[in-house]
Amino acid sequence: MLASWQGILHGLGIALLPASLLYTLAGVFIGTMISHLPGIGPSAGIALLLPVTFGMDPAPALMMLAGIYYGCMYGGAVTAILINTPGDAAAVMTVLDGYPLARKGRAGAALAIAAVSSFIAGTLGVTALTFVAMPLAEFALKFGPPEYFALMLFALTTVSTLTGDSLAKGMISVFLGLAISTIGIDLQSGRPRFTMGVPELQQGVTFLVVVVGLFALSEVGRMVEDTLRGTLQIVRVRGRVWFTREEWRRAFPAILRGTGVGFFCGAAPGLGGTISAMLAYVAEKRVSRHPEEFGQGAIEGVAAPEAAVNADTCGAFVHLLALGIPASGSTAVIMGAFIMYGIQPGPMLFQTHPDLVWGLIASMYVGNLMLLVLNLPLVGLFARILYVPPGILLVIILGIASVGVYSFEGSVFNLYIALLFGVVGYVFRKLDIPKAPLIFGVILGGRIEQSFRQSLTLSGGDPRILVGSPLAAGLLALAAVMVVLSFWAKRKAAATLARGEAGADRTA
Amino acid sequence: MGDVVLGVGVIMGAAVYLYADANLPALQNGGPMGPQAFPALIGIGLLVSGLLLFGETWRRRRAAAVAVPADPIERQSRRILAAMTAWTALYYFAFERAGYVVATVVYMFALLAFFNRGRWWVNAACAAGFTLAAYLLFTAFLQVALPRGILDF
Repeated sequence: MLASWQGILHGLGIALLPASLLYTLAGVFIGTMISHLPGIGPSAGIALLLPVTFGMDPAPALMMLAGIYYGCMYGGAVTAILINTPGDAAAVMTVLDGYPLARKGRAGAALAIAAVSSFIAGTLGVTALTFVAMPLAEFALKFGPPEYFALMLFALTTVSTLTGDSLAKGMISVFLGLAISTIGIDLQSGRPRFTMGVPELQQGVTFLVVVVGLFALSEVGRMVEDTLRGTLQIVRVRGRVWFTREEWRRAFPAILRGTGVGFFCGAAPGLGGTISAMLAYVAEKRVSRHPEEFGQGAIEGVAAPEAAVNADTCGAFVHLLALGIPASGSTAVIMGAFIMYGIQPGPMLFQTHPDLVWGLIASMYVGNLMLLVLNLPLVGLFARILYVPPGILLVIILGIASVGVYSFEGSVFNLYIALLFGVVGYVFRKLDIPKAPLIFGVILGGRIEQSFRQSLTLSGGDPRILVGSPLAAGLLALAAVMVVLSFWAKRKAAATLARGEAGADRTA
Repeated sequence: MGDVVLGVGVIMGAAVYLYADANLPALQNGGPMGPQAFPALIGIGLLVSGLLLFGETWRRRRAAAVAVPADPIERQSRRILAAMTAWTALYYFAFERAGYVVATVVYMFALLAFFNRGRWWVNAACAAGFTLAAYLLFTAFLQVALPRGILDF
């Protein structure tokens, strides 16, 4: 506890340096802008900006990338409220009540509640992160290769079973990611694997190239469809961006409940912001005295999911910083940034890079304050981004993605690989295959194989070492339970659908 | 239909991956199980996933056999995206040969001419403005060399 206090005070000293403030402001500003572009989520935004930060000092670069992440989450509500389209997937629940509120002339109140909820949840979430991350990192120092193998397998299982509607598709995505991670020279034997005789593949497939293709380039497909389908209905903000006392009285408890739900969901690998928002919304509807208002413009329906999404962001950083395991697609991309700068996130981070880790956490307090300013008085200004024709935006995204990928290693080959992953991302979207498990597989593949082989080296090839410790056995058992539960839940859903169809047929 | 094709593709891909893994040279210095063991587990995982997808597809078909009508916008967007992919591949081919500035201005202007029709001056300004801003950002600020191509004088 005392070490955390000392750490955060030290971090505040770093986060308040002019350069840190500038990069944090740049991050939250860019994140807010990206959140106003329907369809472009935080993963795509971070992926697009990642090449620009290469060569920068890691600490301010990571402050900026983290700022983009929580800035995106903060501002995702604006498009949800004004154009009935979530700025990112996590804002999907905000649409349900935010847009009806805007249609009733309460757009200003909905935007203000979303901003204040995000600020409170973000600040409480960072406080929890401050005091949870270090003890967890100290505990994780006791992990050996078998425990790490089990933990990473658990993370991969969670993300593949909980994202998307199909267990098989989640598994295909994660195994494809793991297969991509095996391309290149094997570090232990020094032999190339699966390079198909292409010299450029000997170094492996660059993570950044996969991310830009899968998240940024593939989103262009969605934008082309939006352009062809015509313009979106935009509700203009009229009057003051603030709420009434009654609205605040109803929203405040929802914010606190949403924060709790969000932080715990964020700290569980694989759940992500969308699930936290859904759980917070459902929980809020259950406890509300006016459940009939949900979906018609209930202020709690904006406050709870917005709080959950922002607290989830902080929870996701607990895993990333303390264990070196991403908790969502976006944190997987940020983890890629850590690795790109030559820094391995995980329990040793607090000892090897205390300035960076505490500076990063402290910058989140500052960034949250900046976002409150950006999202309250300046919300009308940012909303103007919505009027930029999508035809121009998609061409600019292609331009940024291309120059970014090339600049990373000065390689045209990487551009072709990014284009290939852009096509893969488009196919994934059309076939409802989740992208996050693939990114998890790519980012964790090398480390999970290393832990697997180290464990077997320690035991002289005896695989029982993988379940030798209670922690490793427990995590593997949990992973198995996740698969069985997911299989059962999806089977039940299919049976329910069949009964529904049969009932509908009889009625017809 | 899409899921069946996906399942077949995954199983075939897994078979190719496992075949390539089995043909990796066996080594003594790659740990007790060598560099083949982990990829073998991945290949088996992919095979199982493909088979599981067949199971899920079969169950869903029994549950609901609702034909989704073809979306004309979807078909049109597919044609546009195929053309954009080919145009982007051509742009990447010209990236070093023609140089970043020339290739990017031509690439962006052509796309803008299609997606933002009729606004020639705005499109030209966007294509040239973006390209020059990106060139200056990367070469002057980030110290990254971008190819000059035919403008290398």
